[in-house]
Amino acid sequence: MSNTPCEPPATPVELIEAKVELPYHYVAGDYRAQYLRALQNKRILGSRCPVTGKVFVPPIVNSPASMARCGELVDVADRGTITTFCVVNIDVIGRNLKLPYVAASVALDGADISIFALVYECEASEVRMGMRVAAVWKPDGERQGSHEDILYFRPTGEPDAPRESYIDRL
Amino acid sequence: MFQESTLAFPYKHWTGETIGRFLAGLKEQRTIWGERTATLGVVVPPLGYSEADGSPASGWVAVGPGGVVTAVAVVHEPIAGFHPSERPFAYVLVKLDGADTALVHIVADGLERLRVGSRVEAVWADDEARRGTIRDIAGFRVVG
Repeated sequence: MSNTPCEPPATPVELIEAKVELPYHYVAGDYRAQYLRALQNKRILGSRCPVTGKVFVPPIVNSPASMARCGELVDVADRGTITTFCVVNIDVIGRNLKLPYVAASVALDGADISIFALVYECEASEVRMGMRVAAVWKPDGERQGSHEDILYFRPTGEPDAPRESYIDRL
Repeated sequence: MFQESTLAFPYKHWTGETIGRFLAGLKEQRTIWGERTATLGVVVPPLGYSEADGSPASGWVAVGPGGVVTAVAVVHEPIAGFHPSERPFAYVLVKLDGADTALVHIVADGLERLRVGSRVEAVWADDEARRGTIRDIAGFRVVG
């Protein structure tokens, strides 16, 4: 070529996009599948340890303390107590939540450990340990048997739970 | 019961002046550019300096599009969305004609003929597909 350039173009390419994707295929297993299916019917299942009597949510097959098989699945309430929480002020890519929001651990009534939950319908600054909250479910016909069947938790307005009622259920 | 879930990491990297111009050369000129250095010869891809002593590069040199493979790593079962090819391919180091360092790229065809020492040649992406990335070179193919 007669017009072979002797340098690359003067204007650089400014940025490159490098998208990395890691596709996972999670298998729920027996207990977790039953737990997810129950959510479709607005039920939250736990499993009870026959030795300590503690109820785990989501249900687990063997008690981590006694190693006993938790053969009994039990219903727990769709309301409970905030045991600990975090106010989130920073956006996460791929998550579409209005800021600020509250990520909380909620000890459901009848459960001995907390689940992780989103708290809405109040100011983030009002959220506190011991606050009583209840699940807000997706409408009938829209629930698919997934964690997203619970949209979030909202304050119930009940008096706060005493500290000793939840401090061992974090 | 199962769940499909994908972790996506949508990175954007600022290229800087030197790599930015190198990529513009791929996109607009279908030319692979290296830089002349005092201590490492012609460096591809260019850094703007020599990695041996940090001395600045002294000018652009067009290299390739042919070269010699100096290392091969075959990926028999690529992961979609993670690896640069959805069918079996090889990562290769290619020492392009006129260059003194090797460029990392892929070979997707003729894997059975690919060896360290194989002659390869750049295969360019179509004009409309070249967007100023290293994949403006679609890959290398074994020649000869």
